[in-house]
Amino acid sequence: MAAVHGDVHGHEHDDHHPSGIMRWITTTNHKDIGTMYLWFSFAMFLVGGTLAMGIRAELYQPGIQILEPELFNQFTTLHGLIMVFGAIMPAFVGFANWQVPLMIGAPDMAFARMNNWSFWLLPVAATLLVSSFFVPGGAAAGGWTFYPPLSTQGGLGVDLMIFSVHILGASSIMGSINIITTILNMRAPGMTLMKMPLFVWTWLITAYLLVLVMPVLAGVVTMLLTDRHFGTSFFNAAGGGDPVMFQHIFWFFGHPEVYIMILPSFGIVSEVIPTFSRKPLFGYSSMVYATASIAILSCVVWAHHMFTAGMPTVGQLFFMYATMLIAVPTGVKVFNWTATMWRGSMSFETPMLFAIGFIFLFVIGGFSGVICAIVPIDIQVQDTYYVIAHFHYVLVSGSLFALFAGAYYWIPKWTGRMYNETLGKWHFWLSMFFFNLTFFVQHFLGLAGMPRRIPDYNLQFADFNMISSIGAFGFGSTQLLFLYIMINCIRSGEKAPQKPWDGATTLEWTHLPTPAPYHSFEKPPVVN
Amino acid sequence: MHNQDTQKKGSASIWQIAKAVMFAFMGIRKKSDLENDAATLTPAQVIIGGIIGAVLFVLGVMFVVRLVVS
Ligand code: HEM
Ligand SMILES: [Cu+2]
Repeated sequence: MAAVHGDVHGHEHDDHHPSGIMRWITTTNHKDIGTMYLWFSFAMFLVGGTLAMGIRAELYQPGIQILEPELFNQFTTLHGLIMVFGAIMPAFVGFANWQVPLMIGAPDMAFARMNNWSFWLLPVAATLLVSSFFVPGGAAAGGWTFYPPLSTQGGLGVDLMIFSVHILGASSIMGSINIITTILNMRAPGMTLMKMPLFVWTWLITAYLLVLVMPVLAGVVTMLLTDRHFGTSFFNAAGGGDPVMFQHIFWFFGHPEVYIMILPSFGIVSEVIPTFSRKPLFGYSSMVYATASIAILSCVVWAHHMFTAGMPTVGQLFFMYATMLIAVPTGVKVFNWTATMWRGSMSFETPMLFAIGFIFLFVIGGFSGVICAIVPIDIQVQDTYYVIAHFHYVLVSGSLFALFAGAYYWIPKWTGRMYNETLGKWHFWLSMFFFNLTFFVQHFLGLAGMPRRIPDYNLQFADFNMISSIGAFGFGSTQLLFLYIMINCIRSGEKAPQKPWDGATTLEWTHLPTPAPYHSFEKPPVVN
Repeated sequence: MHNQDTQKKGSASIWQIAKAVMFAFMGIRKKSDLENDAATLTPAQVIIGGIIGAVLFVLGVMFVVRLVVS
């Protein structure tokens, strides 16, 4: 470990780093790269959000008003792909880049140049995805899960999507190898594994999951590609293949993927809740163990996405039981956060509000997940708006709210300035209100039988859809407030003290000035 | 990492590994037990134990399923 630190010392960096745009293109600094990841993911969030506004505008009333069905399907497909691979995942990697070295007392990420490469692949992939709207035939339109035969039939847009997924996967794999190596090899003396902040733990486990399942995704899109262009029939029944096999491979990636998007947010919430409750995290060790077991179990529940695809009863029962059991360690976590707040001296700054909002709404999403896992119910609600409601409760009010909590929590450390607390609270309450307005009613729509991924619907669904669309426009506009708050903070926020949160205990607050200097922990701190 | 417990690394019994894995699956572990685990288990033991645990979990659920459908 000492050798690693010594090595980094060897380079004389401060005097000759380029400025202007070249600084960003050539940078190997984890803070610069983290910043780029965060801005990139926010930009993608706005692109994906714009598509969502298009979807909700079309669904505001029954009938076709704005988007032709074909374009509508392209919107839903790219909305999903961009939000999952362009917004949520890179945002968490951005947090990892900024925070992992700061929280374990390392000077930088282990593979600094590879880090630069992992980031710069992203804009390339995003360009491919977004430009696919403008090729003949338009973007991929078979849903973010790109099931064949739709995905073997589409035009050039599907090829661009496949290529883009390859690149994004490569970026994720490199990013996770970097994170694993950093955490395992570059911790400050005394920072044992069991002293690591929970955010670092959750990222360590997430990174292993990524290394495990991203190659599976790469494999399955490659099989699609060869089915499309090179005469294979992996998923084509006429050639002896099996379209259902695609679903198995995809969801073997897909279900761990949803945990990849939620575990780091568990980590962020596990930092924020103790800080603002001024108490250590209740059951730190349980949290570590629960995270590990969620990661393992998440690999044996995938077919709960396929109950209606045709499966023997024993299969249905197996995946139903396994899925319901995985809710146990998840429930333990919710219990631990609640117990952390119990009798704490709590205060409710914006990060804490988002963390509490996270717990509250994530529980709703978790419960609707368990409901979807019950086979006879899922046969009814599969492919309806009920599923849409479920996963937006876990992804928007789960992952995204945790990202907001983390952004407000660490922005003082990153910029040296405070955000506007009043506006932050407005951001939270407006998000909370509009989020529920948008998605709660979708439970009712789903139970009443409204299918997902359709541009038009029967008259009986009209009222709830209008409510949902109004909520969506509100939620979308509210996020512009977040952009304003962040820019305002960076430009002209009040100067932040070294430790604006008096309950914070992790290294970045206790051992570093605010803002964190460009090169931090060149000498490793001593942790006891 | 640098503490004196290092020499005890790998000294855990099979039962201790099994217990750590079982508690992990439930997501519950006492602080003192955890520290004990951290001191006596090696990562390889935990990973292999975890994989065996996952296999047993799958077999267990399959067994219950058989019971239910028979
Ligand atoms: C308590 C834990 C959870 C359970 C029991 C659960 C269960 C399920 C089930 C059974 C489905 C399939 C529904 C259907 O297609 O008919 C589903 C869909 C989905 N879940 Fe969950 N889930 C849980 C947590 C999560 C989390 C944490 C995330 C993401 C952060 C997530 C994201 C999704 C997504 C994106 C889909 C829809 C995929 C698609 O068809 O497009 N779920 N969930
Ligand atoms: Cu799933």
